Amino acid sequence: MLDDTGAAIAIEGLHHSYGSNAVLRGLDLTVRRGEIYALLGGNGAGKSTTLSALLGFLAPEAGTVRVCGIDPVSDPRAARAAMAYVPENVSLYEHLSARENIGYFLALAEAKRGEDAIENSLSAVGLAPEAWDKRMSGFSKGMRQKVAIALALARDVPVLLLDEPTSGLDPRAVLEFNRLLDAAREREVAVLMVTHDIVSAVDIADRIGFLGQGRIEEEREASATGPRFDLNALHDRYAYAGAAA
Amino acid sequence: MSASSIWSAELRLLLRSGRNLLALILLFVLSSAAVLAGIAEIENQRETIARVEAEQVRDLAAVADANAGPEGDPGYAAYYAFMLTQDPPPPLAFAAIGQRDLQPYVLRVRALGLQAQLYDSETYNPELALPGVFDWAFVLIYLLPLVVIALGHDLVTGERETGRLRLLLSLPGSGLWRRRIGLRYGAVLAALGLPLIVGGIVMAAPATGIAVMLLTAALYCAFWFGLAMLIGASLRTSATAAAAMMGCWIVLTLILPTLANAAIARSVPVAKGIDLTLAQREIVHRGWDVPKEQTFERFFVNHSEWRGKEEFEGRFHWKWYYAMHQVGDEAVAADVAEYRASLSKREDLTRKLGLILPGVGTMTVLHRIADTDILGQLAYQDSIAAYHAGLRQFYYPYLFNDRMFTRGDFAQIPRYETRSGTGSLEIASLIALIILTMLVLVAGALSLSRQASQSRAKSQK
Amino acid sequence: MSAATLIAREEWRVLARNRAGLIASALLVLLILVASFTSLERRSAIEADRERYQTSTDETFDAQPDRHPHRMVHYGQFVFRPIAPLAFFDAGVDSFTGNTIFLEGHRQNSANFAEARQSSLLLRFGQLTPAFVLQTLAPLLIIFLAFASVARENERATLKLMLSQGVSGRSVMAGKLLGHGAIALGVGLPAFAVLIAFAATGAAEWASVALMILGYAAWLLLWAALGVVVSALAGRPRDALAILIGLWMVIVILLPRALPEAASAQSQLATKIETEIALHRDLLEIGDSHDPDDPYFNDFRDQVLARYGVETVEELPVQYAGLVSIEGERLTTQIYADAADRQIASESEQNAFVHAFSIVSPLIAIRQVSMALAGSDPAAHYDFLDQAENFRYDFVQRLNRMQAELLPGIEGEDPRISAAYWQQIPRFAYDTRDPLARPQSLLWPFAVLLGWLAVLAGLAFIAARRIGKSAR
Repeated sequence: MLDDTGAAIAIEGLHHSYGSNAVLRGLDLTVRRGEIYALLGGNGAGKSTTLSALLGFLAPEAGTVRVCGIDPVSDPRAARAAMAYVPENVSLYEHLSARENIGYFLALAEAKRGEDAIENSLSAVGLAPEAWDKRMSGFSKGMRQKVAIALALARDVPVLLLDEPTSGLDPRAVLEFNRLLDAAREREVAVLMVTHDIVSAVDIADRIGFLGQGRIEEEREASATGPRFDLNALHDRYAYAGAAA
Repeated sequence: MSASSIWSAELRLLLRSGRNLLALILLFVLSSAAVLAGIAEIENQRETIARVEAEQVRDLAAVADANAGPEGDPGYAAYYAFMLTQDPPPPLAFAAIGQRDLQPYVLRVRALGLQAQLYDSETYNPELALPGVFDWAFVLIYLLPLVVIALGHDLVTGERETGRLRLLLSLPGSGLWRRRIGLRYGAVLAALGLPLIVGGIVMAAPATGIAVMLLTAALYCAFWFGLAMLIGASLRTSATAAAAMMGCWIVLTLILPTLANAAIARSVPVAKGIDLTLAQREIVHRGWDVPKEQTFERFFVNHSEWRGKEEFEGRFHWKWYYAMHQVGDEAVAADVAEYRASLSKREDLTRKLGLILPGVGTMTVLHRIADTDILGQLAYQDSIAAYHAGLRQFYYPYLFNDRMFTRGDFAQIPRYETRSGTGSLEIASLIALIILTMLVLVAGALSLSRQASQSRAKSQK
Repeated sequence: MSAATLIAREEWRVLARNRAGLIASALLVLLILVASFTSLERRSAIEADRERYQTSTDETFDAQPDRHPHRMVHYGQFVFRPIAPLAFFDAGVDSFTGNTIFLEGHRQNSANFAEARQSSLLLRFGQLTPAFVLQTLAPLLIIFLAFASVARENERATLKLMLSQGVSGRSVMAGKLLGHGAIALGVGLPAFAVLIAFAATGAAEWASVALMILGYAAWLLLWAALGVVVSALAGRPRDALAILIGLWMVIVILLPRALPEAASAQSQLATKIETEIALHRDLLEIGDSHDPDDPYFNDFRDQVLARYGVETVEELPVQYAGLVSIEGERLTTQIYADAADRQIASESEQNAFVHAFSIVSPLIAIRQVSMALAGSDPAAHYDFLDQAENFRYDFVQRLNRMQAELLPGIEGEDPRISAAYWQQIPRFAYDTRDPLARPQSLLWPFAVLLGWLAVLAGLAFIAARRIGKSAR
């Protein structure tokens, strides 16, 4: 499943534009298995476009995109079977329960998982068992997000794409979410999260990349000793990049 | 999960939505109510025919009592003996009543001029007829599209508005839209079709006829789902998609048919009906003022077998009277043909319109197979005309040979035999409906898949 | 300027930017105009046709040669129902009733050649008249413009913003109602203008036109109010739209079709055949003029002889057969009239059943108002039948009197009277019925429309209070 470099996600020289607006101009990005990569960038920096390229939703104008060595454009089925994607602010079907939703989406993904896999993932995201069989119409934003993440976990795939996963979560839920990602790292999952939330990224990411001018302008790696990142320096960098965009 | 469980999961998803469930139940209830109303109307018409038949037997017996006898005059018998014709509802009429609420299905004729009798109306309440009948065909043509709109307008837009579209598209499985549309299509068709099938069994309707009706419904329904795909995939929000589909419905089922009807009524006048009645009256009454030989000469043109038997003494003889009426009918034959041609022309233009308007095409197919359109009525009139000709042939030997008309002869008067159904399969309309439906379906499927790939690219903009 | 008018003006500004709404409104206006002109043209074509037929049949009647008067009784007269001036606006049941009757002695023929019997089923989709557009399509347009009025503000929380700035719930509702009420009247305006222009040419009565405009204004306002109230109570725009379309479907499409089905199932009309047979039997019960021993006609003969102070029929100065014809016509006409009354009564009973449901479906109320004022309702048709029947009785009796009085002076086997007498026979002149002659028939439907408006006003009041509460 892995290519020679051991990268689960490998993007090289990716170009993409909407009309005359060139969003990605030679993006290079790799995420290894067991690594959590936080992609930071201002509005319109191309974060969603990067995810779309990985999901095979758009064909690159130049460059290559590989997910576990698979080209998502030429073989979208195989690529998507290796990825789980959690969109921003998704609300699953309101008139189904959390359990039914996950069962239903797993069926759509043609993923054969038992009831216990669903229950394990629901308990892993910290959703109280009494909520599992309630219709999601009564769920809070945080609970919805948990179910969406539980779905991604239940898929049990090597690559996880998260779009603003912590938006709408309270600090406690963010902590729980970070623990989940820790567990994923243990299981050798490659995680690419696109986020505004610099605090969360600092807490959990192994690498943080700044997206600007259509490529990774700067990349920092967590230090093995002491504080993993210098939050203040990152914040200044982020705010500057946002202003540039 | 197995292949069947994904279907059952989809079904659960469909039926858990209050709106979808309500729409399907409503369609089922309306379809059942329409079938029941249709059956009630048919039973009503059958009862009426039975009632009239009983009255007719009594009336004819009274006429026989008054006029039969050793000295019975065939002229009086023919004058007073009204004979009943009846057009019992065809077996499929319960689903598509068509014009049977307006057109007479019982008519009495006697051996006098046919053209003065053939166009008589039966009693019907015009205000009740005004809004049109409530039958299965109405539920199909008018109401089914609204249910399709309720179920289908937000297939794509609804997913996008809740942020699920990208998630759904990111999954490795396939056939999502095919499954969802197929399921909705099946559910709608079942809710609409089951009452028809039950009604068909209850009314002992021919299975092929019911099958044609179901096929037509399936095509019409597919047309609307195709439109839902086409519109739902091209517009951004559910609200605009719903508004656009309602717009299509209004234009296709309310505005264009009414406009077309106005145009047809304008371009094909049917005044010949009045003309021929007026002309027939003139000829019959002028007969009293012209020499009798003249009337007989015109009569002999088509009935030469009675030549030489026209002489009689005195001022009046029934044979001359009936010859005069026969001549009156024959003189307006061209007008009659023209009148009928104008009616057929209107029907034909409607059929042509049905080649491009699916609602009108569906209407044409349903009522033609049910034999409840104007052509059915014309066929009934034809059968009355044929019977009337036989009635005249029956009386002429008595009149021209001066035979007495006895009680036994009353029993010999030919009785009208119910015409056999003339319902037929309107192949051209059906094929046009198939082509229209396929076009919309293909366009819908194409725009759905194109749209899906586009929304992948820029869903969150 | 009050808060309500400000809100109304804001609503107009929002709608002015709604391109789909503008296009739909423009199309509706266009449709009203197209319907008006095609319908006007159709009406004048029908009018010209019927006038031409009436004139030509009248001329042929005059042109008949010398004849025995009884022959003319059966030659009869064709009468054509003149189309009411406002029938262009609402064709009503005009296409469903026969418009010509053949009138002759001692027979009651049906009115024949109804347009609906000569049209394909396309006619049942509806007839393109301004009334069809106003009754069926205008409500939908009003719904589409109004469904989001309050729900939109609610969903975007601009409602809360307004309330927090001291605007009362009542002002919000009043403003939205004002805004959409004005739009609804604007939708009707082209049709009203056509009506006014038509009345200005003198072709229609001002009173009818005024009431017609009043009725349709109430009808359109009703939908505007319904749209705003549902929008306020439903919360989300898409829920409001779904509810409103559902209501429209039930009120405008479903009930008007389903109710007649229920009405005809409740009471059946006797067929013409049954009526004829029964009439024939009734007549025989009274007496048979050909039977020399018939008690009724023997009495009649004795009375006649006594009146003329003679002993035998031969001594009478008039033709006895003619007198018998007059008496026979009197008797049959009475029986026919009774039967016609029964028929109209049972039809009216069916219609009353449907009309009672106008409380649920106010379309039935506006349709009644509209048809009645346009002179195309069943009452106008019955009136035509009634006038035609009176006319028939009159001219048949005149011919019978000619027979009784003139024939004794004419010798020969084949007695005829001069053709000049035919010109003394009156021609049918339809006395146009004033729809306001029986205003009580309009009272109930108007009351229903106003009742709906009152109920909606009450609901608007409740909605206003709910909005007000949501601010706290």
